[in-house]
This record gives sequence, structure tokens and C-alpha cells, in this order.
Amino acid sequence: MNYKLLHIFRNTPFGRETFLQSLYFCKIINAFPVAYIPKNDKFLMYFSNDAVQVDLDHSYLTSPDTAKGHAEDLFKEMQIKPMFYEPKNYTASTLPDISTNFDYLCCPRSVSDLSSKIGLGHIGPKVRRMIKHSPFPILITSPVFKPWKSISVFFGGSKNALNALKLGLKIAISSGFGLKIYTLLEKQDKAYYKDLIQKEGLAEPVKQLSGHWHFYEKKDFNTMLYDVPHDSLIVLGAYGHGIIKDILLGSKMEQIQSTVTNNLLITGPYCSVKL
Amino acid sequence: MSKIKHFYKNLYRRLFQLDDRLLLIIAGSIAGICSGLAAVALRLSLESVLEILHPFRHYGWAFILPAVGALLSSFYLEKIAREGAGHGVPEVIYSVSRYGGILRFRSSYSRLISSFLTIGSGGSAGPEAPVVMSGSAIGSNIAKFLGLNDRQRITLVGCGTAGAIASIFNAPIAGMVFAIEVILGEWKFVNIIPIAIAAVAGAQVSHAIIPDQVIFNHLPFQVGGADILPSLGLAVVAAMVSVLFTKVLRQTGKIAKKSSLPFWARAIIGGSTVGIIGMFMPVVLAEGYHSIQSMISGTFSMGMFFVFLAVFAKIFATAMTLGWGGSGGIFAPCLVIGSLTGVLFHKMLIILVPSFGCASEGAYALLGMTGLVSGVMQAPLTGIFLIVEITGGYETILPLIVVSSISSTMSHYIEPASFYFKELIERGQFLRPGTDARILSDLNIRELIETGFVKVSENMVFRKFIELLKTSDQNFFPVIEDGTQEYKGVIQISTIRKFALDPGMYDMVFLNQIMDTNVLTASLENDLQEVLDMMDINHMDSMPVVENNRFVGMISKTRILDLYRRELIMQTSDH
Repeated sequence: MNYKLLHIFRNTPFGRETFLQSLYFCKIINAFPVAYIPKNDKFLMYFSNDAVQVDLDHSYLTSPDTAKGHAEDLFKEMQIKPMFYEPKNYTASTLPDISTNFDYLCCPRSVSDLSSKIGLGHIGPKVRRMIKHSPFPILITSPVFKPWKSISVFFGGSKNALNALKLGLKIAISSGFGLKIYTLLEKQDKAYYKDLIQKEGLAEPVKQLSGHWHFYEKKDFNTMLYDVPHDSLIVLGAYGHGIIKDILLGSKMEQIQSTVTNNLLITGPYCSVKL
Repeated sequence: MSKIKHFYKNLYRRLFQLDDRLLLIIAGSIAGICSGLAAVALRLSLESVLEILHPFRHYGWAFILPAVGALLSSFYLEKIAREGAGHGVPEVIYSVSRYGGILRFRSSYSRLISSFLTIGSGGSAGPEAPVVMSGSAIGSNIAKFLGLNDRQRITLVGCGTAGAIASIFNAPIAGMVFAIEVILGEWKFVNIIPIAIAAVAGAQVSHAIIPDQVIFNHLPFQVGGADILPSLGLAVVAAMVSVLFTKVLRQTGKIAKKSSLPFWARAIIGGSTVGIIGMFMPVVLAEGYHSIQSMISGTFSMGMFFVFLAVFAKIFATAMTLGWGGSGGIFAPCLVIGSLTGVLFHKMLIILVPSFGCASEGAYALLGMTGLVSGVMQAPLTGIFLIVEITGGYETILPLIVVSSISSTMSHYIEPASFYFKELIERGQFLRPGTDARILSDLNIRELIETGFVKVSENMVFRKFIELLKTSDQNFFPVIEDGTQEYKGVIQISTIRKFALDPGMYDMVFLNQIMDTNVLTASLENDLQEVLDMMDINHMDSMPVVENNRFVGMISKTRILDLYRRELIMQTSDH
């Protein structure tokens, strides 16, 4: 298949790490990375029911003369044909529209903060909105290039989690890497989750591709996170609720991303995944 | 509990899902009220700040006031709101024609703040375009909140626009006409009612907060049949001034963009220039409603030469304000320039034909305003209804129609695109519903691709291909490389006839020897217009779509025509 991943290139050492991560991801799943080298400090993405304006910090516009060359070098290093994205439409003369016709998008944890703040901080509001509205999964990379060798799916039983499971299975098929499923028993017992995937027709592929399905009691959330191999790609579904619920109830996604250094692949509520 | 839930679901379905008109009327009136409130807030705050700054205007240092305002405005837009300067109307039209009216939430307030800073400090601009932007964004975000579809969202964008214009001018009909004529570009029954109600809601909000408001008061005009002929002359002059205004605005903006100066330096230069002009000619400052009032009521004291200068000074000041970093619209400057043109024309008429019994100077100011609004926006109905409503001058309706029609027609003849549309036309993004360009842009190349084609290996022997051909109805066979699965070329039945008719060749030829490698291919990134152009130039009926050297499918004119018709019916139907 012709899966394409869009990467917003940042011509800095930190940007190199995230780009290498994107290239590695594409190489493993046989997708095509497309780099966008921003010429303006903002861009707009039109989703089906919202327009998300991403305001980039100045590090994205660092040394524009060398940006393309650096990106090409990294493409070559990973033996991938360089492909660059050029915006065709502009909402305003300094505000390009970036296409949403991609299959994956790579984001750092925050696109608006300085890279020194990035690391394991909070997920920026723009990245949250993109996750909430995008029809494709979002790859949030680890702070340094870290090849992953297995896939871990966090499966909580929601619709988004089912999508995440399908995505994990899909990546397991294309990469040949092993898949592990992690479930926190919050309100239901094991049988409920097994029943759920049975109803969704995922029981057979799970049986074939996943060696392990780990169940944890609600209180063992941190143990579960520790058990995830450090070199595993974590696939999870974002619940996609608003900021008020986030403040009141907390966000699992936020907790996970601020605790583990792994690469994360997140499916939002509008993301549709087919096996 | 379940009965209540069932009742609610049933009621919701009956009221909103079966027919969305009621939903649009309710949501439209909310959009109209909210945008009306935004417009009133801007108007009242502008009145206050202009009054506060008025005593300082005759000091020598007062020329820096517009510079400070433009600086703050551009700083706010660049660094805080992170939006471009300008008036924003093309952005709304662009969003309506390309993205189903999706607008950012920040647009609902950002232009209000920036235009308050620009106009309040004395910059030559109007508050109308910012309230249009704000109202449209409010409508769009209400639609987003309610989870409405593109068509419904576009209607609410129109409702927000209508409510804003209706509120700021206390002119509901002008608001409705502007929304439909300029923003949406289509008169559909399904749009008109919610937009009309939103316009009335906006005007009522304005009326409730600022009672007994008529923007421009005047005594009744005595307009007779003798004024029709001079009206023709005024229309021609107004058209010329409109074209000049449009060109100066665009050129000044281009010069500013080309300059390597930082945004703050541009704002200071633009603002100071306006401030200096304003020291000698205060008529150019701010939105200019006071000057319009005095021209309409016949108390404008400038002599003919100075009125002549004022026309050009106002054009230049507006261009420097909007082109060099300030924020605001061109509606109010159009009214000022138009009324100055009308007054100038009247003065010349009196000098040339002293015994001519024409109407008063105020009536000609009114006609001039219509001429400029119609000429610059090329929206004749908006021009007529706006002037009639804001002045209550129904007695001038006949010459108003004459001036508006001739001015917009002449302007269109000289400058085919209005100020609002010019930028979009140049970018190829002016896509009105039901037009060829809009339909093609709405069709996604992905939904046009026909898939399921049997691919053949480049190393396949021709005999095997003939066997395959017997059981297939394909006319094109994509040829791929064995290992990489990369696309290599295509076998077209029409071009292999000579091999097919010679069985002696069956075991001697491989497909890579006879495949056509020169066939043009499309990619998923191509616009449909580009694909059609390629097909037309190369006389092709079908074209392979190749992405990353992999065959994706075929795109054919037959399939395009099918979907084109479907889209055309959808866009031009009344629902």
C-alpha cells in the first residue's frame, strides 16, 4: 500500500532525532515519509469539522538554506527516496494550508514550545487538537532516535482502543515485530475484554500475532508502564474528551506520555483503521 | 426516564433531522445575536476611544497616534493572535468556497481587537470588514459546536456576516444582501430565511443597546428627473475612482510586502504617514463617519480644490493604513471617498451649469457613496440597500440604482475582479458554487480512481498475456516489476494489435518489450484540473495514477463526468 507519513521538518539536532524516528517508522512499516520544510512560522490544517492553526516556534525556521540538504542527507542515511511537501493553497499569504490527505503525521510532544522544554513534558494544545480531529494516527516520537523492536498496544476497551488494537495488528503484520497487549482492569474483568475483541472479529488476528496479553489491576498502572519494553512502539487510543474532563478526571494519554520515553502512536476519535 | 429520553429523541428528530430549516433558523439567530453584540462592542469602543483622543489631535506630536495604533495592532496580530493583517473578507470567502466555511475560533475576536487599535488611533480604515470576519467565525464555530455539515455551516457563516453588518449599520437588508451577494455568492431559498432572521436579530441587538440610532441624519432630499443625467456622469466618475482606489490599495500592499522591513517598521511608517496627512486634512483619519454626516447634511465646508485633494489623500491614507500593517476594512473608506466624490461632482456641476436645478450636495454625496461601494465591491445590490438603509433616503432610490448599476458595470469592465475577489482569483481560489472550477476542486481524485485492475509482470511472455486477455474486459494492463512491484508502464489493447494478430510472436515477445512507457501518469497530489488538462493536451480518455512508483488505479473521463454531474446537481439544487 502507498501509506504516507507527513513530517514537519525542524533543522536542529532535536529535529534530526525526530525525523530519523519518522524515517525509521516508515522503513519498518513500508510507508513513504514526506517532509515539509516550513517557510512560515505557522500553518493551517483543515479537518472535517475544525481548522487547526499550528504556530511553530522559531527553531522550525532555523537555517532555511541548509534545511533541505540536511533532510536529504537523512533520507539517504536511511536509504529512502527523498520526498518533500509543498503547500498548494494558502488561507492568507503567510498561512499555508497543509493537506490532511496523509496516513500518518509525526509530531513532537508539542509543536509550539522551544525544544529545550520538550522532552517529556505535556502534550501541547495543538497536538491535542490534531489528535482529536485527525483522520490519521499521530506518531509522537521519543526525544532521541530510538529504534523500536516490538509493538505494545494499550487496550482499554473503548472505540478508540479498538482502533489502536487494529493499528497495532496492522503494524505487526507489516513490520513482522511481536505485539503485546496491555489492559488495565478498571471496571470489567478479563472475559469482558476477550469477548469484546471476539465480537469485533479481532480474536483470530490477536491470537496469531500477539504472544502476550497482560492484565493489570487498576492500582498497578505504573507497574504496567514499567513492564512495557523500553524499545517498544506504544499504540494507544486517545479518549478525545475536552479540557474540563481532563482537569477533573485526568488524562490517561497524558499520564502515559509523561511517564514513558517510548515512541507513541495515537489514534483519535475520528481516526478510522481498517485491517 | 426512558420515556422522557424517547420523547426528546423523537422531538429532536422531528424538528431538526427531518428538516434542518428550523435548526438553521435557531442557530442562525444565535449567530446573528452574537455577531451583533461583537459589532456593537467594536462600535461603542471605537466611539469612546475616538472621543478620548479627540482633544489631542491638534498637538504637533499627534501624528504619531496612528503609528502607535498600527504598531500595537500589527504586534497583536503577528505575535499574539498570529494572524496576517488585512481585512479578512477574502479569507472568509476562501473558507466558504474551499473548506465548507471552517474558520478558526480566534478569528471571532482577533480582528476586532486589531482594528480597534488601528481605527481608534486614527488609522484610515473601517470597522465593517473586521466585524464580518468576526461574525463569520462566530457562525462557523456555532456550527462546529453543533456538529453541523458543510452546507449548514456555510449558511451559519452567512448568518454571522449578515448579523454583523446589520448590527454595525443598523441595516438588516444590507446585511442580508451583503452576506448572500459577496460572501456566499448564491441565492438559495434554504439560505435566505436563516440569513434574513440573523440580520434582523443583529439589527435588533444593535437597536436594543443603542436606541434611536440613525447613522447619518439628513433632511429629505428633493431629487427630480433632472438629476438622472448628472447621475450618469457621477457613476462614471465613481467607477474611475473605484478602480483607482482598488489599484492603489493593491499596489501599496505589494510594495510593503516586497520591502525587507520588519512588520513593526512598516506599521510605524504607514501609521506616521497617515498621521502626517491627517494633521493637514483630518477628513482622512479613522472611519470618517463625522465627515460623511456633514457632507450629507450639506454642512461640509471644504472648497472644491481641497475636496479634490481629500479624495486622493483618503485613498492614499487608506492604502498606507491597510497595506502597511494596520487592520480594518474598506467599507467606511469607500463611503468617505464616495461622498467626497459626490460633493466634488456637485460643486463642479454648479460651476459648469450654474442654472441647473439639481438636488442638494448631500444627495450627491449619497449617490457618490453608492457609486464607490458598488464599484469597489462590484456588489450593486449591497451598495443600493446599504445607502438607502443607513440614510433612510428612499427618495433617491432611482438615481441610486442608476449610479450603482453603471459604476459596478464600468468598474467590472476596467477591473474584472472586485477588491475582495482579486487576490483569490489571482491564486486560482475564487470558487463560486456551481462553477466548473468549484466542482472540480470539490471532487477528490481519490474517489475518482478506478481500482481492481489486474496487473501483469514485465517478464510475462506474450502468449500468457493473450490467455489472460481472453478472460478479461480491461483495456489497460499496468505492468509492474516482479520484485519491487514498481510501476513500469502500461499495455494498451489498441497498441498491441499487430502482435496479437501474429501468433508467431506469442512466444518471442515479453511484455517489457511492447509495453508503453511514455504514457503520462497522474499522482494523488494532482488537482483534478491538472489531470484533465493533461488528458486534453494528450488526447487521452484514461490515465494511470501512480504514487511512489506504485500503480494505484486508473482515472477516466467517463468516471469524472459521472461524479461531475452528481456534484453539479448537489451544488445547484435548492436543498
